[in-house]
Amino acid sequence: MPVLKSFSAPAKLRDELTPATRRAWSAKVGGMFDDFKAPRYRQFYDPTAADTPSDADVVPVLWPAFPARLRGAGSEEAIAREADRSREQQDEYCEWSVEREQGKITRITFTTEIPEYFELLAAHDQARLLAIYRQLAGPGVKIEHLLTGKQYRPKNRWNRGEEATGGLVHLTQANNTLGAAVVLAAEATILRERDGQPIGTKQELAGCAGLGHPRRNSDPQIAAIVNGAASTGASLTLQDPLGLYIHRLVTDGMSTPDGTDPQTFWKLERGSPGRAVRASFSVPKAKGYTVSEVKIAGRPIRFGAQLADRVRVRLTAIVKPGNARPRRHPCI
Amino acid sequence: MSGPVVTDLGCKFFRELPETTLKRKTIHRFIAGQDTAIQELTLAEAKAKAELGDVFATEFLLKGVFPKTSGEVLARLKKVGGAGDPLRTHRFFFLGEGSQVPPDTTGVQRNLRFLAVTGKSEGGGPDLMISTFHPDRGDLELMAWDRKRGGFNYYRTVGDTTGWIFAGNSRHAVEPKTEGNGPFQTHTSGNFIMKELKAPWINWDSPDASISPKVLPAAFRDHPWFRQRESGGALTCELEVARPSITRWTKARFEQLLPGGNGTIERPRRIMEQILGTPTVNLVSSFTEGTQVARAESVDLPATFFVDEALSNPMIGLEGPPGFAVPGKVYAQALKTFKVRWTDGGNFTRPGDTHFAFVVPERAFEDIEVLRRALKTGLIGERFAASLLMVDFPNPVYSARRAKLLDHVPAKAIVEAGKSTFGQEMAKNILAAAEASPANSPEREFAERWGAGAGWKAAFNKTLAGYYRALGRTLKAQGGFDRIFRVAESRRNRMRAETPLVESPLLFATTNVARSARASLRPDGTVV
Repeated sequence: MPVLKSFSAPAKLRDELTPATRRAWSAKVGGMFDDFKAPRYRQFYDPTAADTPSDADVVPVLWPAFPARLRGAGSEEAIAREADRSREQQDEYCEWSVEREQGKITRITFTTEIPEYFELLAAHDQARLLAIYRQLAGPGVKIEHLLTGKQYRPKNRWNRGEEATGGLVHLTQANNTLGAAVVLAAEATILRERDGQPIGTKQELAGCAGLGHPRRNSDPQIAAIVNGAASTGASLTLQDPLGLYIHRLVTDGMSTPDGTDPQTFWKLERGSPGRAVRASFSVPKAKGYTVSEVKIAGRPIRFGAQLADRVRVRLTAIVKPGNARPRRHPCI
Repeated sequence: MSGPVVTDLGCKFFRELPETTLKRKTIHRFIAGQDTAIQELTLAEAKAKAELGDVFATEFLLKGVFPKTSGEVLARLKKVGGAGDPLRTHRFFFLGEGSQVPPDTTGVQRNLRFLAVTGKSEGGGPDLMISTFHPDRGDLELMAWDRKRGGFNYYRTVGDTTGWIFAGNSRHAVEPKTEGNGPFQTHTSGNFIMKELKAPWINWDSPDASISPKVLPAAFRDHPWFRQRESGGALTCELEVARPSITRWTKARFEQLLPGGNGTIERPRRIMEQILGTPTVNLVSSFTEGTQVARAESVDLPATFFVDEALSNPMIGLEGPPGFAVPGKVYAQALKTFKVRWTDGGNFTRPGDTHFAFVVPERAFEDIEVLRRALKTGLIGERFAASLLMVDFPNPVYSARRAKLLDHVPAKAIVEAGKSTFGQEMAKNILAAAEASPANSPEREFAERWGAGAGWKAAFNKTLAGYYRALGRTLKAQGGFDRIFRVAESRRNRMRAETPLVESPLLFATTNVARSARASLRPDGTVV
């Protein structure tokens, strides 16, 4: 693979963008790499500036959407309720919203769409921004709902960041940004040591290098994999189109009242094959039952979090074999 | 043709069998406890006698194809059926008790191994699973779902021979003559084993802990099985391999016992042993890494250490336990008090706990599934099941008190149209025995639980809530946690002593607590 000409739109949603907006997106992503040109980041590279050889390894990193730092913090019901309560809790680069009718769940929608994409649309193509919002949130959206002056407002009435029962358009939790993932990958190429001993395990590295909550699913795992590869002398980047993707829903162990395969209730709503950024789980009305009657390991679905535990989120790293001899840095 | 008479019926027998015992390119049968010697089978005999209906038999052995390595097995399966045949999709998992020992440690026995799975059966889970230390060498253990009769067929080779032994079907794990013998010494109920079944899946490559390529021998690092290992690792294995496989066999087992939902179960004690005893265990741990406990504000402890998961499962429906945690500094002090070190007994010793802290046995998922089927088929009812499990509830595994209730299992159980008097008969037996038993006997405890009557859920929830509050107090103090630590070590020692599942000294940390010391929890959160 030669040097990348430009960064693609997330999920290859290129048809949504004008040529000018596509160029602006590429420049925006390129800007994320510009922060890592210092020598200490020599094992993290911009794929539009350096080549990616054909023998580079493509390394998918997968994790469940359920926020891992809640695990063990209460009864299963309590932590599921807590995860559902607010999207502020949903910090694994995937957020969800639960729709109910008369107390029964009718739909659970998941998104991994990054806020940077919508910020760009607000700056360059507000008509497109409005069209996407209307497609995802309903025809009542007006542009003034989304902006404060000329500034895009990521948490707005149609994309309620604090409520997991409100509208859902894109990620809003503070850690759930593409920029955060790029920073994490770059910082994780720096090898660490404590008292002369190499740091390598997931939680140890997260704590030592200040890479977020050590008990999260996503960041510490991405960091550990990147760090492990960097220790071999390899260089790393993230696969184009950069983004966080919904990999799949695992339905083994799920059952429905009429024996229908629950996988048929899972619909990819946005993105391209293999690069879904929005998906939902709902039962067609004709079936005569709702999501609440579907069971996971014998338990009826009462929370979106139960399904989130089975939704896999993916980020893909590219590992370019190399001979770097990085020195280890102390913990921060 | 038969070989010499075999007297050692354990799984060790297979491991130590000289490969010259097996004839090349031949199917053998040795079902320990049933056969007295290894039988060579001609293809005709194998087809007629062995009743092998799994894909390994139908695509290999019964066609006269005798692979030597797991690599050869999978290579042939790549050509089976059409392009979309699930047998052409192969998934690889990687694990080892020493997989998280720092890569630069030399001479440590890491016990690294692969699990390869393929196919997808109608009932859920894969068709065929292979566990191997080396994809390109012999000494294979293979399980394959029997599509004709149900249950897994167990096969193995020895050394580099192309002779294969059929060692039995899952049903042999639960039949009187063969149970506990051969492969069923470890696969106690005929199930697939993933003992570290739940997150954070200690020892497995997983989202919670990736295994560094650096711990592998250099020749392995580029091996396709390692490079193509499942990205979700143990997370995928748990949900898509282990749990569905266990559920599938348990369902098939009950269907065999009760065709059409009706019939007489000749040996209900075998089922009740899985409900009241601890024939096997799974392992669970804290989510906190062992090296991080001193830095952690608090260290989470697995709830299933304190209470049986089955009680809060919807099949019984009691309220779930809260989260349990101990202050990091308290946990760290306990590591010093008990001189805890992670060691292989040879070249590697590190002060402190295993990769994830507080690894302990918990009730096995396969036994929970048996309880679920016992309820679903109507063999027993919810109140009866809950009353049994509430006896000595602070000790979800290795409870001698609960196991004592096995003395009262009726000889037979009849199930008709989803109903049985078995539970009532057993309850009656226990209540009768309670009358003449000493105070505080398990029978009297059962009688008290059973006596809650229709209000059993509220009564049990109240009892459990009091226990959880007491545990909260116990876990705050150093002395309290030290006693809890002794209970944990006691249970590990029971597992060390009673199951062959502890295959590496690195599975648990080593402590200064005597291996013979026993401790258990009480409903007031104290330890005896």
